[in-house]
Amino acid sequence: MAEPIPPAERLLNLVIALVNTGSRMSKEQIRSTVAGYGDAASDDAFERMFERDKDALRDLGIPILTVTGRGHGDDIGYRIDQDAYAMPQVDLTAAELGVLSLAAQFWQDRTLRTDATRALTKLRAVGSGPEAEDLVAGLAPRVPAAGAALGPLLDAVHAHQAVTFSYRAASTGEVRTRVLEPWRLLVREGGWYVVGLDRDREAARSFRLSRIEGPVRGVGPTAAFVVPVGIDPAAVLDSRRTETSAIAALAVRPERASALRSRATSRPEGSTQLPPGLVDRDLIHVPYTSITAFVDEVVGYADAVVVLEPDELRDRIVARLQAASALDTTPGRTDSEGVNRHG
Amino acid sequence: MAERAPDRLVRMLGMIAYLERHGGVPVEELAEQFQVSRRQVVDDIDTLWLTGTPGYWPHDLIDFDAAALEQGVVRVTQSRGMTRPLRLGTREAIALVAALRAMRESLVAGLDPDRLAVLQSVLDKLTAATGEAATIVDVRLAADGEPVVNAAVGAALQAGRRLKIDYVTASDVSGEREVDPLRLVTGERRTYLVAWCWRAGAERLFRMDRVLSAEVLDVPVAEHPRSDHADTFHPDQDAELVTLELESRARWVAETVPVEAVRNRPDGSFEVDLRVVDRTWLRHLLLQIARDVRAVRPSSIAVDVARVARSALNAYGVTGPRATAD
Repeated sequence: MAEPIPPAERLLNLVIALVNTGSRMSKEQIRSTVAGYGDAASDDAFERMFERDKDALRDLGIPILTVTGRGHGDDIGYRIDQDAYAMPQVDLTAAELGVLSLAAQFWQDRTLRTDATRALTKLRAVGSGPEAEDLVAGLAPRVPAAGAALGPLLDAVHAHQAVTFSYRAASTGEVRTRVLEPWRLLVREGGWYVVGLDRDREAARSFRLSRIEGPVRGVGPTAAFVVPVGIDPAAVLDSRRTETSAIAALAVRPERASALRSRATSRPEGSTQLPPGLVDRDLIHVPYTSITAFVDEVVGYADAVVVLEPDELRDRIVARLQAASALDTTPGRTDSEGVNRHG
Repeated sequence: MAERAPDRLVRMLGMIAYLERHGGVPVEELAEQFQVSRRQVVDDIDTLWLTGTPGYWPHDLIDFDAAALEQGVVRVTQSRGMTRPLRLGTREAIALVAALRAMRESLVAGLDPDRLAVLQSVLDKLTAATGEAATIVDVRLAADGEPVVNAAVGAALQAGRRLKIDYVTASDVSGEREVDPLRLVTGERRTYLVAWCWRAGAERLFRMDRVLSAEVLDVPVAEHPRSDHADTFHPDQDAELVTLELESRARWVAETVPVEAVRNRPDGSFEVDLRVVDRTWLRHLLLQIARDVRAVRPSSIAVDVARVARSALNAYGVTGPRATAD
């Protein structure tokens, strides 16, 4: 027997045969006439090979249609309809292919990276010539990997199918099973989120993909829900972050905190003066939108930056510093065993 | 690693569709178009040449102009009807359109109007070809850095010019330096400039929100040894190993900082191991999350952070720990 035909060649022969067949081909015809299927050692091996190839082609966007013959219920045949897989008329310039090539590198995630790379190969077929990369020289947008949960969630959002998964709540650390009607996937600071209707809570919720433990499974039928009109999934996620707009008065040590200084605005009317103990410092005014993010930033400067106003910001910083000042005193917070192990 | 059969199939069908539109194409150009080696192009053509409709007699097969191929030019003479380009699948469309949209939003500052127009045009064409499925994924990348700084960096990258930047380090020391920009890496959290730093004589990562000013110099960038260090921060294995025991509320630490290991406890608390190069950075992190820290190993770090915090409280005119609500 000749050496076996490689899978890519067998798939290509199957596509060409099913595109060119007059009406349809039966499984037996495929097995006996399409090059590559004769290699199957048994009926079972052929069935598995054919089913796998059908799945592979469907994933590539080349659906194999099942055609039932007139009269006989079990007279099933297959064909491929070119109109079902052809790309609408598109022409891409070399510069546009260059941009797409950059877009395909956008995802760190394996699932999306594979999809994007394959899409790019398809689009290269309609390009005017090799891609021009100088247009996007030096730009490297990167989105972090999402992990195994992403693929099933993408499919479920698209198919409008509910999903279930185990989720670790950040507030309590507790792991619970959730049932979600997923509306949209979002990437925001901090990574990947899915937003949808939590069926047990009967309310819109957002979930961080990195806190999903174990597999995501579809439950129930597809087309099981519609994304409610008038709800912006992005707003469900973003509403957790309280945005304010305020100006902080800061007493900064000379030569320090240049990053804060570069964002300083002019001094507002009737603003504070430096208190007696801090007269050797510079008084600057810095606008901020998220108090949480600003506390995180400012507390890192420790004694180099003292908040004078507003009070809420000052109180939060002081509370953080007080917690930190107790790090070396609270019993059980440090233990000699740890020091021995890693010190 | 061997290429997966479906990926190869997509490329071979793509080649036929491309050749149908372009007539004779040199092997070289076909390789560049599909970003594979010349050898791979020849292998693909050899495979295509063997495929066709059942029977597989010469007139059943996909056929090429053998004389032209001798001259290094690929021309299809019989395509067996395989000339239609493949439509994008739903997930394929999502992956590209969501990436293009996020690029349009986040790279605006670094792109001039001509480049923006190309981005918009390709986005319009893809959306028209694929429908609205792509709204399934919504990506917002970091928009840190001052607009004038972003514009200068973008211009220098495109023109291949050296930059003079005023930069503040993580230890809060600012200073001017000249750099040859290599890449602008935009993530969901921060944007970094990867550049050759003339002062350090090495490739460095600069956080865009700490670049205070940037000036494009009239000096072309030089050739530099290519470093294989990735575009993200990976502390090396010689760095100090630090273990933090944290309350569940600080879980974001495990998700945003490169950690070596995470160990979950039944009560929701957890331990992380970190490699720490810069103690200033670690001190900053611990000041942020102090309320949720149960333990720090080695303990000398906890002692250091507590001392710094007491000194800061002193500046606030507050002394010693007291019960706090927050």
